Amino acid sequence: MRIWGMVLGGYPRSREARHLLRDVERGLVPPTEASIRLQRVHSEIMGVQKAAGLPVIVDGMVDWHDIFRPFARSWRNVSVNGLLRYFDNNFFYRIPVFVGEPDTIEPVLAPRVRDFIELAHPSALKVVVPGPVTFARLSKNSSGLSREELAVKIASILRQEVSKAVEAGAGFVQVDEPFLADIDATRDDAVLAVELFNKIIKGYEEKASMAVYFNAPSTDVYEAILNVDSKYLSVDVYDTRTRALDLLSVKGFGGHVPVLGVIDGRRIHDDDVDRIIDDVRRLVDESTEELVLTTTTWMDLIPFRYSLRKTILLSRLVEKFAEETDSEAYTIWR
Amino acid sequence: MSYRVPEKFPTTVVGSYPKLPPAKEALRRRKKGEISEEEFESLVREAIKGVVQDQLEAGVDIISDGEQSREDMVVYFSEIMEGYRPGEWVKIFDNVYFRKPIIEGPVKWPGPMTLRDWRIATEYSEGRPVKGILTGPYTMLEWSFDLYYKDRYEAIMELAKVLRKEIEALVNAGAKYIQVDEPALSTRPFPEEAEMLGEALKLMLNGIEAKKIVHICFGRVEKLLPYILDYPVDQFDLEFKNSDFRLLPYLKEYGYNKELGYGVIDVHSHQVETVEEILEAIDKLMRLGILPPEKIYIDPDCGLKRLPREIARAKLKNMVEAAKIAREKW
Repeated sequence: MRIWGMVLGGYPRSREARHLLRDVERGLVPPTEASIRLQRVHSEIMGVQKAAGLPVIVDGMVDWHDIFRPFARSWRNVSVNGLLRYFDNNFFYRIPVFVGEPDTIEPVLAPRVRDFIELAHPSALKVVVPGPVTFARLSKNSSGLSREELAVKIASILRQEVSKAVEAGAGFVQVDEPFLADIDATRDDAVLAVELFNKIIKGYEEKASMAVYFNAPSTDVYEAILNVDSKYLSVDVYDTRTRALDLLSVKGFGGHVPVLGVIDGRRIHDDDVDRIIDDVRRLVDESTEELVLTTTTWMDLIPFRYSLRKTILLSRLVEKFAEETDSEAYTIWR
Repeated sequence: MSYRVPEKFPTTVVGSYPKLPPAKEALRRRKKGEISEEEFESLVREAIKGVVQDQLEAGVDIISDGEQSREDMVVYFSEIMEGYRPGEWVKIFDNVYFRKPIIEGPVKWPGPMTLRDWRIATEYSEGRPVKGILTGPYTMLEWSFDLYYKDRYEAIMELAKVLRKEIEALVNAGAKYIQVDEPALSTRPFPEEAEMLGEALKLMLNGIEAKKIVHICFGRVEKLLPYILDYPVDQFDLEFKNSDFRLLPYLKEYGYNKELGYGVIDVHSHQVETVEEILEAIDKLMRLGILPPEKIYIDPDCGLKRLPREIARAKLKNMVEAAKIAREKW
């Protein structure tokens, strides 16, 4: 078995990043200087992941206030307004408000990839986008389109985002659909999410993943999710551990490489590596050729220093799992 | 001085009120270590007096201290309770953060945490009852980091035991209304979570001689309703206005028959609800025919702390006016 690790998504802001963004808001730091200083913050975060031997890394997205904001800001006919709780977190996102058919003004991801691709080497740089079903569901839709039509339109813009990002050198594409793990998600939501996901990642299936987190999806939703065309499929195992283990033990991964969220990205305790290894062993067998271990969620809602520690713990977990199962731990993306 | 709470449609508040200038000063100076406990209390007293006056002028029947010394509903208790330490900065929205507290040892009751402010409010309340208000154990845990209890159930039960002592202190001092705030519950509307809080509430409230209220807001309460109706409480205080009264049909569906704190004021909007608008909200509930007016408490959706004081005051005034008219009508 080949095994490797990656962090699921964004990192929290260090003290320096918090103060920098505050000074930018107050007009005390010009945007060009802010950009250079933020690049340093991102490069430190990438450095930690590279030092931890993660073959696929994220830039940290510390300048994103929430997962939707950079896209909402860069698209025509979308604004942000008001705050809403982001799933079960004590964190609030600004609600994207669609007032017409959205369109791109400027790409979000490709310029980032160009900025960070060299810093990421030799690891591959992952780009993450909010899934169209989650995006549409958590937005205010005054566009005149139905919610489904809006999701389709969002997906077509995200397809352009992803294509340009891959052209710029992105080595891995992740589409986040946390709504699919929500108690209100239906099989129809999952079917639509899968259909749109498959369009977004078409041509990049070998380096793409759909990520579902904050909860274990219901059985019928998960069954639909298994129809994604990507090689990889990411599930949060530890938010609702018992339910997730039961689900995954019974339903498996539908031939996808499992990306298992086992390092708790929302809490600060040191994860119990031995327990994780026992749990993961329940979910894989000799036929599993590749396994990816990851954080349950983004780590942007824990203090910065704990996110660094969790990154190291993830690395240790991969090493230990490889040792105990006589597997090969990958540190270079192939 | 005694005050007779109206039998029909009594009016109340959920708890927090805009921070008055003395409270802001007290909190700011305390953070910088520039203030003695006596000075802090003196400023908080002045703020609470103002809050109580606002509520009396509006005509609210069951009032609160406005939570003037609470910077945040979880952080406040964590800073006093044994077993907690201050946390590090965690994002709450945009580039705004709070210090998410950390449980690092067994939680213990350090002595009364809310009693001083409750007493101050009672001094100025002209006989109107003052609610004793606590953040519940579920929300305390969910909005903290836990490095001590590895099991959520154990942590919530231990927090419940601590809060039980606080409730006893309030009731021994004369509090007739005890409210436990559990906004975090509606973010995880699963039966097992609701059952866990139910167990905790038994520890906290069984045998307590006071009106027992649980406040839940801003989430999918309809998913919780089937699992919480047997909680050992007299009243659920719920948000309705902000979610456009979406919850109302579910009350009927699930045969709701406890007292209801009926949220008719949107605390996220600066637009002051008119008397007619609030009356219409009351009529909507009455037309369902599920509860008599004696079991309906009229109040805002949630705490008023994010509103400007003038807006909060105007909203309360109209709310009381609408309740008066409703008493005649129903």
